[in-house]
Amino acid sequence: MAATVVIVDDEPDLLDLLKLILTEKTDYQILTTTNPHQAIGWCKEYQADVLISDLRMPEMEGIELLKIIRETDPDLPLIIMTAYGTIESAVEAMRQGAFDYITKPFRKEQILMTLNKAVNWRQEQLGH
Amino acid sequence: MKFFSFFRRQKGPDGKSPEELFQEKYQNFRKLLQANSDVLDIMTKLEAKLEGDFIFDIQYVRSRTQTLLAKARTIIDALNALSDDQYADLAPIFDNIEAKIKTEIAAELPTDIMPLVLGLGQVDRRVLGQVGGKNANLGELKNRLGLPTPDGFVLTIAAYRLVVEENLLADKVRALLTAINPDDLTDLAAKSAHLQQLFREAEIPVKLRDEVTWHYHQLASRVDSEPLLAVRSSGSFEDQEYSFAGQYLTCLNVPFEHFFDRYREVLASQFSVEALVYLSTKRLAGREPAMSVGVLTMIPASSSGVVFTRDPLNPQPDTLVVEASWGLGVTVVGGGLLPDRFLVAKTPEAQVMSADIHPKARRVVAAAGAGLREEDVHPEDSARPALSEAELATLGRYGRIIEDHFGEPQDIEFTVDEAGRVWLLQARPLTLMTPVGEAKPPPQLTEPLEALLEGGTVACFGAGAGPVYLVRGEEDLVEFPEGAVLVARHTSSRYGAVLHRAAAMLVDVGSATSHLAILAREFKVPALVDTQTATQVLKPGQVVTVDATHLRVYAGQVDALLEARPPKASTVAEMPIYAKLRRVLRWVTPLNLTDPKVGEFAPAGCRTLHDITRFCHQMAVKEMFDLGEKAGMRDFHTFQLKTPIPFNLHIIDLGGGLDAPRRARFVPPEAVTSIPMRALWRGISFPGISWAGPIPIDVKGLYSVVSRSLTAASPQHSDFWTRTLAIVSETYLNFNSRLGYHFATIDALVGETRNDNYITFRFKGGAADEVRRGRRARFLGAVMSRLDFEVEVTGDLIVARLWKYPRPLMEEKLDLIGRLMGCARQRDMVMADDALVEWYVEAFLAGNYSFAGEPGSAGPGPAGNGKPAD
Repeated sequence: MAATVVIVDDEPDLLDLLKLILTEKTDYQILTTTNPHQAIGWCKEYQADVLISDLRMPEMEGIELLKIIRETDPDLPLIIMTAYGTIESAVEAMRQGAFDYITKPFRKEQILMTLNKAVNWRQEQLGH
Repeated sequence: MKFFSFFRRQKGPDGKSPEELFQEKYQNFRKLLQANSDVLDIMTKLEAKLEGDFIFDIQYVRSRTQTLLAKARTIIDALNALSDDQYADLAPIFDNIEAKIKTEIAAELPTDIMPLVLGLGQVDRRVLGQVGGKNANLGELKNRLGLPTPDGFVLTIAAYRLVVEENLLADKVRALLTAINPDDLTDLAAKSAHLQQLFREAEIPVKLRDEVTWHYHQLASRVDSEPLLAVRSSGSFEDQEYSFAGQYLTCLNVPFEHFFDRYREVLASQFSVEALVYLSTKRLAGREPAMSVGVLTMIPASSSGVVFTRDPLNPQPDTLVVEASWGLGVTVVGGGLLPDRFLVAKTPEAQVMSADIHPKARRVVAAAGAGLREEDVHPEDSARPALSEAELATLGRYGRIIEDHFGEPQDIEFTVDEAGRVWLLQARPLTLMTPVGEAKPPPQLTEPLEALLEGGTVACFGAGAGPVYLVRGEEDLVEFPEGAVLVARHTSSRYGAVLHRAAAMLVDVGSATSHLAILAREFKVPALVDTQTATQVLKPGQVVTVDATHLRVYAGQVDALLEARPPKASTVAEMPIYAKLRRVLRWVTPLNLTDPKVGEFAPAGCRTLHDITRFCHQMAVKEMFDLGEKAGMRDFHTFQLKTPIPFNLHIIDLGGGLDAPRRARFVPPEAVTSIPMRALWRGISFPGISWAGPIPIDVKGLYSVVSRSLTAASPQHSDFWTRTLAIVSETYLNFNSRLGYHFATIDALVGETRNDNYITFRFKGGAADEVRRGRRARFLGAVMSRLDFEVEVTGDLIVARLWKYPRPLMEEKLDLIGRLMGCARQRDMVMADDALVEWYVEAFLAGNYSFAGEPGSAGPGPAGNGKPAD
């Protein structure tokens, strides 16, 4: 069964672009939202395999989202997207248990590589 | 002379010494160079994002753009500090460009503080997020350019959202948008009809009703009547990169008592089948569209039409296309008949270069009271041009102004009233077939084939093949097969619902400026219009190949034409964020100021940030060049170079140019740490270059020198024979040499940042007569040209420039200039013959610095004591 990836960011332009590229390049089910609460709900409803989140969102910081997700799915890999200049926060997110981080703007190949790594890791954890 | 006031022995009015002031100017120069380098780096990275490999968001675009603007301002300030404010006129030009850029990156206003209605006088692109592209652009024409547009007001996107919220339509809209399948038109039509009906039945919130009524009464008092209205869509994505041509509704000739019904219909038109298909194929369905609506006074139209500021199929920069017919413009943009077509020169005189006048038997006009009606045109008017020369001249002038303002080709709708006054109704970016300035040769058949159909007008270049599918009306669209060739009698923007599936399109009647033609170009569907007989000649199901480029249709599939098709543009490049970045970059990266010698190389010629930074960089280098020439040695502490070469060389160190104690008076050449100075000195002191004593001259040459010495042209300074000043830093050199009658200046920056590196060399004068001095200048110019410099020679003056080479190569060039200065010393006295110039050039480049073996001399052959220049 194809992996499910949930992506949350407050920028709809970026979500559209990510969805287009990931849909073209992978067979993953890609769900995008600007609402972190909806993202949390979808992770549970669709049994997401990977969550990609922006670090700074008006409604919720990426690290807070990470902590909430950890309560229900400790092994869900979370990839943090961070803008240039906030590397320290991304490193902090890693310390809190994020799977990886990627700095915006990034190349298609970068996100594909990081995402594939996360999906493979998840599937190994689940014994697939 | 104002410059000299800074460089008196006494401190200046701000208490700074001449050295400090000089140092300050040099620091401003360095600041400018660094900022320029940063700007070029950011521009390059932003352009790279458009290649389609990157994921980025508007925050990135904003952040980089704001840095660019700050750096550009630093560059302008540094240039003015360096030049004592000689370039103050750059500021308003920069402010104008900055305003345009900031409009494009402005954040959207939250809906809860957005007004529901704005007067048209309050609208421009700064409120794009509130009023949509069509209204914003109209506001620019009216309020920024002062061009004639109808008066009116705008119901904003906040008004739309209020209607949606109060009628509980948000979830229904979202549900439809997530379920669009553009290939199932039957299902889509049912969903579309349901949602459109909900909008038609929506209650207008009281608050909105009151505000609109107030604005209408204000409008009525301004125009002194109860005007009939044009109610025009302005969608959140419309008339920017996405034309939505003909997809949304415009209602004309609406009395105010019917206004809210028409408003609801315009809002509902967002969800028509063709609009939904367009949204889906442009990947905009994930965003909820929103609709602002423009309300304008109706203009009693004598004639109407469109201006394309470039021919979309042959985009030459010096002509525009005007199409027009009698009455309202619906017949032109709707493609119902063939309008008159004019090509107009884009000059102040706006000459009509060609006119194709077509019979115009019918027109659409405003009906009495409300709505539109179609009527016959008087037979005398049918064959008459729909526009006079004066009206065409006005349209030409407006077209140039509008294209210049938006920075890209435009599609402009207009009407002409009964008094002959031109009114502008709309302006949007024009979809061109090829990028402006490029011409790609279309594929040709190597063997002739008989065509089923020939002629028509290209709406979109290219070739496509598939089975013919005849479309008589909207009902035929449902069954349109994937890859078919759409064949229709008339153009209709509703056919846009299937264009994404069409291999090609043929229409009997219509023009290349119609909405459907615009959509064909946007979707890159090869298309011919005005074929006259396609619907009669071609049979449903028949496989044909449409060669739109050559106006031909062939039976069967012609692989030779199809193989040459260019690949479709990446869908990534069509995403909204890429569109936003492209809109920003059109005010940033294009370089219009390319040649410093051309008159337009001036602040007024700057149209982009790149123009400004290029101009500033060029002027800063010139300012530094002139700085050294104006400085007097008596105003500074100088070091004197200790050398056996008879060079009275004084050095001013700005920092890093010398390794010597501050109080030293004499320094050896080894103490020079300035990169460009060391390289130049290597050349000046090259073994085999002789600076001592006179060289053999002929009698004529000697007389020429003596006579010149006796004239008033000689300089009078006491150290007349050798006077050289070098201003240095680690990477900078300004070298001013006065050797006898020669004046040589070298200004150079040589360091590790290749983009900053330059050499400017200037040489003038000489002891001999004008003819011989001219020969020497030509000799110098020819050598410099062979060394890859850009050279200008005027009389006895030569100026040579070199830019952006890496450090080692720049050092090599300076070394050779040093050798050249030594070799060229007094050459004007011996260049007796024009034919000798070339010999001297070759001799120098071969390393024959003594010019031994000169033709006609009795001296020895070349000693070969210098390495070749190349």
